[in-house]
Amino acid sequence: MLIKPIKLKNKISIINALTKVLIIVISVFLIPWIVNRVSIKDLDNQLIENLDKTYSLVEQYGIEEFIKQGGDQQAFGSYNIFKEEYISIEKVTDTTLYEEIDYSRRTIEGETFDYRVISATIESQGSYYLIEIGKSINSILAFQRLIRKFTFYFLLVLMAVTILFELAITQYLLRPFGKIIERLKSSNHPKNFNYTPVKTSTADFKDLEENIHGLMRKIESAFNEERDYISNISHELLTPISIIKTKLDNFLNTTELTDEETEKIIESKVTLGRLTKMVRTLLLLSRIDNEEYLLADRVNLNELLAGLGTDFQEHFEQKNQEFELKLPDQQVEIQGNRELLHILFFNLANNAIKYTPDGGRISVHLNLEKDIPVVVIQDNGIGIEEKNLPFIFTRFKKFQESGNNFGLGLALVKKICDYQHFSIEVYSKPMEGTRFVIRCK
Amino acid sequence: MDQSIRGPGFLKLFVNAITMRILIVEDEKSLAEEIALFLRNEQYSCDIAFNGRDASEELAANLYDFVLLDIGLPDYNGLDLIKEAKNYNSEAYFIVITARGELDDKLKGFNSGADDYLAKPFSILELHSRIQAITRRKFGQSSSIIKFGSFALDISKLQLLHQETPVNLTKKEYDLLSYLVLNKGRVLDRLQLVEHIWGSFYEDDFDSNYIDVHIKNIRKKLGEFDQSNYIKTVRGLGYKFEDA
Repeated sequence: MLIKPIKLKNKISIINALTKVLIIVISVFLIPWIVNRVSIKDLDNQLIENLDKTYSLVEQYGIEEFIKQGGDQQAFGSYNIFKEEYISIEKVTDTTLYEEIDYSRRTIEGETFDYRVISATIESQGSYYLIEIGKSINSILAFQRLIRKFTFYFLLVLMAVTILFELAITQYLLRPFGKIIERLKSSNHPKNFNYTPVKTSTADFKDLEENIHGLMRKIESAFNEERDYISNISHELLTPISIIKTKLDNFLNTTELTDEETEKIIESKVTLGRLTKMVRTLLLLSRIDNEEYLLADRVNLNELLAGLGTDFQEHFEQKNQEFELKLPDQQVEIQGNRELLHILFFNLANNAIKYTPDGGRISVHLNLEKDIPVVVIQDNGIGIEEKNLPFIFTRFKKFQESGNNFGLGLALVKKICDYQHFSIEVYSKPMEGTRFVIRCK
Repeated sequence: MDQSIRGPGFLKLFVNAITMRILIVEDEKSLAEEIALFLRNEQYSCDIAFNGRDASEELAANLYDFVLLDIGLPDYNGLDLIKEAKNYNSEAYFIVITARGELDDKLKGFNSGADDYLAKPFSILELHSRIQAITRRKFGQSSSIIKFGSFALDISKLQLLHQETPVNLTKKEYDLLSYLVLNKGRVLDRLQLVEHIWGSFYEDDFDSNYIDVHIKNIRKKLGEFDQSNYIKTVRGLGYKFEDA
């Protein structure tokens, strides 16, 4: 089961509130009940005392004092003026002797009273008498109701006050925690991490922060090492390439060579060029991974895309390809890195030209869909087979028997799109053409 | 004035027979020596320093016109070396070589007094062309017009004139033509031409046949004024500029 995660401070508040409600509920029932028990117990003791008194009276004066033998009245009863207590003695035929205390409701002169009644039978001169002594518990019940009401209101107010207080306290106590989380969230790269310590007197948070800082520093140094490593690797690779290239140039420059020999040297230079491009593209990919490019430029897409026409003018002319550029009337500006954006569209256009036969057509369209710039680069070239489509952005994946494809160009395109938070889609059919759609969100 | 473009080494005459003195600071001995070999062929006087310490000493002891500086020295921060060298060699021009090939580094280079920047691996002809460009800036405009046939290439104004009439060349066409003219008599292969006009590393510099389109267009534009074939095709290899 999926439950939406709740913030710690909210959880604490909810749990606090729930326990308080529970306490109120329990208190509202329990306190009056206890009061009731205690009062009744006290009442019972009084009743027992009264019964004992009655026994001693009966013993002292005889039952006749209360009930005249053979008289009209075979019962004695007395209430006090507010009917808070009463005593009754009557002759009974039942011969079992017992004593018990119980509740009893009586209606006297139209008024209903709840009594606690102690009943006992005694034997006197061969007759059995039932003595009942009752005390009204109305006052106790009233008191109980009062207590319940009072407890309820009192606890309600207490709860409101304590909940507010605790809310403030937890907010205050957890603020450093929130700050630590905020900092983690806001730094998308270890080098942007804010290392100033968060003010807190809570040991756990201090531990947490110190550990996070430790980890961050480790990641940061790993990043730096990686960057240095890439920089060094590229230096290590590009320097020997440079030596070979210079030697070949010098050789061509100073030696009388036949055409065939010269051609071989130039072929070597072409291979060297491929190697160079690969090293540089790998370097570029790693630099993007390392987030070394700032997305701080305002880039005019109209100008950038129109520039492709000039950039590739000789390519179109050489391959007799038609170049169609459709731009909206308004100028479209996006936030990003100018160099990377140029590489992105340059690579896509270059790809389109490369995989479109002579006499084909390349089109570049810029549209606005709900204010989102959408660039569509389409060709009517050889296309990509459907089974290969999922892999076109994978590094060094090579499908066509073309010596010019290193499988890095589109990987770079994807990498730049991800870095710029663009979405890229590709639609292609073999022998019909390919369409790349980039949404510059 | 025709003698001012007498093939390799014409620059020497260009600047009144002053021999340019160049210090190459490069920790890779083989590369340093290869560059020196080329530049000496071109009549430059070359010293080599294989590390920052030696370079620092050389710069304190001698006056140089150019310093070719590999920024990735093992013992020295190359940028610090420029700052330091400016104290002794305030006239020297610094061309920074880097394997990092980054715009940021490039800007850093310019801020710290580097005059130009080349990414490894560079073509020595490109290096030469940069040196020439700086030399022209350094020695003023009087020597910046190169004549061939009835044309005049004004290098300071980036313009080709035919008897005072500007020939309408695109930027790339102008760049290609001037590169060929400045390397008169030398075969430039397509790669070298591509590298000169593009420079940017993400270009497919190995697929360079499209350069033919530019050459065709340049020939057409020159042909409107003058039927001489200045740009010779060297079969399968490249092109060569020859004064008719």
